[in-house]
Amino acid sequence: MKIFSVIIIFVITILCFSFKERHNKTYNNLYETSLAAFKQQQSSLENTIAAANLSKETDIQAIRQKIAAARLQLKNIDFWLRYFEPLAYKKINGPLPIEWENEVFEKFEPPYKREGAGLTVAELYLDEKIISKDTLLLLIQKSKTAVKTFEADSITRQLNVYHHFFLANRLFLLNLAAVYTTGFECPDTNNIIPELQSMLNGTKKIYETYNQTFPATPLTKGYLDAYEKAIAFVNTQPANFSSFDHYDFIKNHVNVLFALNQEFINAYNVTSVNLNDYTLNNNNRSIFDKSLYDPQNTKGVYSLIEDEKILSEIKHIGKLLFYDPILSGNNSRSCASCHKPTQYFTDTTQKTSFQYDNQQHLARNTPTLINSVYNHLLMLDGKHISLQAQGKDVMTNPAEMNSNEKELIKKVLSCKEYKDAFRKLLRLTPEEKEISLNHIVSAITYYDGSFSRFTAPFDDAMNNKMQIGQEVKKGFNLFMSKAQCATCHFVPNFNGVKPPYIGSEFEVIGTPEDTSFTAISIDKGRYVINPASETLNAFRTGSIRNAQYTKPYMHNGVFNTLEEVIDFYDAGGGTGKKLKITNQTLSGDSLKLSTIEKKQLITFIHSLNENIIFEPPPALLPLSADKALNKRKAGGEY
Amino acid sequence: MKLFYTIILIIFCTCLVRCKTQKIEYNIPSHVSAQNRAIFLERCEKGRILFKINCSGCHGIFTKGKDGVPNFTKDEIDNYRAVVLIARDQKNHAVAAKMSPEQIDHIITFLSLRIEKK
Repeated sequence: MKIFSVIIIFVITILCFSFKERHNKTYNNLYETSLAAFKQQQSSLENTIAAANLSKETDIQAIRQKIAAARLQLKNIDFWLRYFEPLAYKKINGPLPIEWENEVFEKFEPPYKREGAGLTVAELYLDEKIISKDTLLLLIQKSKTAVKTFEADSITRQLNVYHHFFLANRLFLLNLAAVYTTGFECPDTNNIIPELQSMLNGTKKIYETYNQTFPATPLTKGYLDAYEKAIAFVNTQPANFSSFDHYDFIKNHVNVLFALNQEFINAYNVTSVNLNDYTLNNNNRSIFDKSLYDPQNTKGVYSLIEDEKILSEIKHIGKLLFYDPILSGNNSRSCASCHKPTQYFTDTTQKTSFQYDNQQHLARNTPTLINSVYNHLLMLDGKHISLQAQGKDVMTNPAEMNSNEKELIKKVLSCKEYKDAFRKLLRLTPEEKEISLNHIVSAITYYDGSFSRFTAPFDDAMNNKMQIGQEVKKGFNLFMSKAQCATCHFVPNFNGVKPPYIGSEFEVIGTPEDTSFTAISIDKGRYVINPASETLNAFRTGSIRNAQYTKPYMHNGVFNTLEEVIDFYDAGGGTGKKLKITNQTLSGDSLKLSTIEKKQLITFIHSLNENIIFEPPPALLPLSADKALNKRKAGGEY
Repeated sequence: MKLFYTIILIIFCTCLVRCKTQKIEYNIPSHVSAQNRAIFLERCEKGRILFKINCSGCHGIFTKGKDGVPNFTKDEIDNYRAVVLIARDQKNHAVAAKMSPEQIDHIITFLSLRIEKK
């Protein structure tokens, strides 16, 4: 009997072990070994720095080589690290020492200071005139500490289920399109394509082990074949990123993989616990479709209304209000006064629009409303977090429309058409006790937000709906490489919103006060909202969509043509123009663009002109019970 | 019979008075200025209405909600990253996912500042 029991126990033990082994751990093992290999590289780099004599060029070269080696190793695990913990990643390989961010889920809070450290920052530091060993060591030590984050249980246990994989893969693919090939975080442009190859091969290993460990939810053969083709494509391309065919790579490889990955996310019911997925839309199937990430909310207080008929009534009222000068203190200015619908919802006739007094000018150029919904922060200084807050500010700002909230509502409700509509809508917005400015502004944003839905020939070409000329492709390839535009204007909206599309970036480019280039513009920009040495003269990066029709350019409208803008960047911005700026985020070196290259860039920019269907203005504005108000003109006087 | 009616009337009146005194109170820190206090109260009130209509079916804070769904005690709301959690959750929070950021903010303000009934 005793023997029998022992045998039973023995068998059970063996069974237990065999069950345990059945869960294939190759995927988890790859994560651990790759992370260990990277840590090894970091230590080796640290030792090289500690032993180096920083006044000797050979020692500096040795450090550079070690940095390059560590970067290559990092590319094997970039796939995971960037997705799991973006803040820790910034300390391993952040592009800048200090960044101020205000991400979409933290908009109600003050901006956060993010510290960057690690490889890129160290590499840039080596270029400084005076370098200290301690500072250099600290940058690497910080990055060593940051790596420990990725060994925490809270992160490694995510590797045991498949969900994170497809979401991390989505971020990887988006970065392939928008960041990895542009030199955004690779100061030495000679390394961009070799690093890309290293990353593609490293990720291939991740894919293989994933399929072994999670056979029930695999990457299909179709995906893996397409991925092989992408690797083969990169291998046939020149190693110089300026000759690399970014257009072909993104269109025929990255976007194809992206669409397949989105299908996996749906088919496998992938769920996210990560903020990186906050705005990304699982139902989207192309990077160049505007549904890629959630835009600003245009509906405001009407957000819970879904009845199409009521929504179209709201839009109708919004349109009337957009053109109605009743919203201004003197009943002579409307939204359309500065955001002229016939001029792409901006004012192309003057640098900056007139103030309320019709004499002085405002400090900043009127931005187009088209595609403003794709910014997470609004205004050039990011002052407002929602379209509704922005709209209210303009209406009550003494320099713009100079209205008083109570007066404005009274005037609007003196018109029967408005009153009837808002009375009806009030019943559908139970949290609002009475008809308020929220009702008025939300109708306007719902109307003007609808002009951001159109696509440009470039989008259609990327989505295989039409052919596009060679010059456009060349221009796009320059945009993504030598001209360095894409390190700030990210695919697909070509604004300052980069993957994972949760924040808006600000840059200091040294825009001059006037075209004599004798002084930087006096406008402090983001500094007014968030005073910090890094934010002085910083402005939110605008989109270049429809740029052909939205002149003049820059925050103060200083340039009148795209040629002037490109010449300014070609010269290296304000610093390149010999202005004294200590915090310019744009390199002060010349881009050395040829005349032909500049033309190609402009041809590409023109391919981003959207096929917008504009609407004629309303023939009549609603009649008011106050007869004096009925003299007002649709669109306003000035 | 008259006595019976009187008793009914008294009970009814007591109910009315009790219902009226069941007004929700909010805990706004004393250093907040009178002007901001009014803004907070307005947001709380909007949040209360939005919550009652759209959330209280599952999250029972007024009456009993669904089992296992948070009913937002003070500790729960402090730890709850509501804005983050619900915005991407189309399955359980389809209504919240449609709301504007301001509407979500009103609800969170309401839940954070309300004083719980013992």
